[in-house]
Amino acid sequence: MSVFELLSQYGGKYMLALLTTWKLTFLAFLLALSIGIIITIMRICPIKPLRIAGDFYVQIFRNIPGAALLIVLVYALPYLNLVWSYYVCVLTATSLIPSAFCSEYLMAGMNTIGAGQIEAARSLGMTFFKIIKNVVLPQALRFSVLPMTNLLVATMLTTALASQVPMNPTDLTGIVSYINTRAVGGVTAFLISAILYCITAVFIGQVGNLIDRKVRILR
Amino acid sequence: MANKENPTETAATPIITLRHVDKHFGQLHVLNDINLSVKKGEVVVIIGPSGSGKSTLCRTINRLETVDAGEIMIDGVAMPQEGRHLAEIRAQVGMVFQAFNLFAHKTILDNVTIGPIDVLHKPKKEAREEAMQLLKRVGVDQQAAKVPAQLSGGQQQRVAIARALAMHPKAILFDEPTSALDPEMIGEVLDVMTKLAADGMTMVIVTHEMNFARQVADRIIFMDAGSILEENTPEQFFTHPRTQRAQDFLNSIKNH
Ligand SMILES: Nc1ncnc2c1ncn2[C@@H]1O[C@H](COP(=O)(O)OP(=O)(O)OP(=O)(O)O)[C@@H](O)[C@H]1O
Ligand SMILES: [Mg+2]
Repeated sequence: MSVFELLSQYGGKYMLALLTTWKLTFLAFLLALSIGIIITIMRICPIKPLRIAGDFYVQIFRNIPGAALLIVLVYALPYLNLVWSYYVCVLTATSLIPSAFCSEYLMAGMNTIGAGQIEAARSLGMTFFKIIKNVVLPQALRFSVLPMTNLLVATMLTTALASQVPMNPTDLTGIVSYINTRAVGGVTAFLISAILYCITAVFIGQVGNLIDRKVRILR
Repeated sequence: MANKENPTETAATPIITLRHVDKHFGQLHVLNDINLSVKKGEVVVIIGPSGSGKSTLCRTINRLETVDAGEIMIDGVAMPQEGRHLAEIRAQVGMVFQAFNLFAHKTILDNVTIGPIDVLHKPKKEAREEAMQLLKRVGVDQQAAKVPAQLSGGQQQRVAIARALAMHPKAILFDEPTSALDPEMIGEVLDVMTKLAADGMTMVIVTHEMNFARQVADRIIFMDAGSILEENTPEQFFTHPRTQRAQDFLNSIKNH
């Protein structure tokens, strides 16, 4: 089938798949960012067991393949009497793994903040959480805009895991198998998805650069 | 003497009290039985050779450094060990650092208002107005919308002083506030400090600027190897140092 035949027949489905991928990516990244921030605060807090737990979390989810995590969620959780929908399983897998990387990027961003600024905050009478809120997080986030942009793209690519479970509507990778089980889309069906992934990634990259230029901290 | 309506209160509690303070860094006895008392409105200058423990002493006063033993009191209240209560006491003591330590991502104005707004819970408008007055007082109100990296060292240090003042502290600690500055900017910072002293601010200052020390200090503390060796008026200390160490130290900086 040619590109035009594919698009005229499955254009609507591609649109839906693109939206599904965007939605998954957006939700997963938002979750990853929130979890990543919480884990990072744990990793630098004065309570040692929390620091250890935070480090442990990052080690686990940074080093586990997404597919393996999805399999665990889909097949192992029911043994614990936890049955999640496929959508929730995919969303969980695609947010837990980026959350570990998110924490790593924030930690790296924090290392650029001088100890002197923290001491200045302490001597103003700020408590731990106020220092995190006013001094540490804003700077760590500004320093990590570019790595976070890459993480957003990586999160999008991880959402391809959705194709491994039955989902309706399916995502940009799932749509390829959907078409190829019904027609002879061949590599062209895949090419259309690939182009849509690429366009999204380039767009994310551009926005990331803009934000980075805007919030970059003068030294 | 100073306060006729309530003479007992001024006479009573010193703003800063250190009693038998001891501290080690591993084997190094960095503070050795330090006793110090700073009255309201007093300007105490700490001098001494490099490594004698001046910065450490300064930092223990608001517990940026913990101590092994002894007692530190701010306005009659013992410094708590940890947590919220410690933060509350710290808010009453300003600190100005050698490296300025302004918040790099915040504007000059926000650097000054963040303490009053977030720690003292002042209304934003009020905090901004007062911050602008303070910035004017230290001569950097024109720079209010810039970020620290856009200012010279001397300007940054004056902002740091305004940031400390915005908390209405009972005392301000200065740890070598001009040591990181180019020579032509030292004067502008010392001028601000001299005015503060004249306005009655309680100050503890670590400095190598001897002329300045002589001019503003009510009392000179000379430290060596973790101990206070001399405590005297500037006049007495600079003309008649009692210990050999102090004489050697004064000679060494004269020959500079
Ligand atoms: N965090 C630390 N860990 C170990 N040793 C330290 C630490 N901070 C300071 N010291 C040591 O304690 C001693 C006193 O240091 P301090 O900074 O108080 O001296 P100082 O009188 O301020 O010197 P300078 O004039 O050079 O600033 C020095 O020998 C220093 O090396
Ligand atoms: Mg020092």
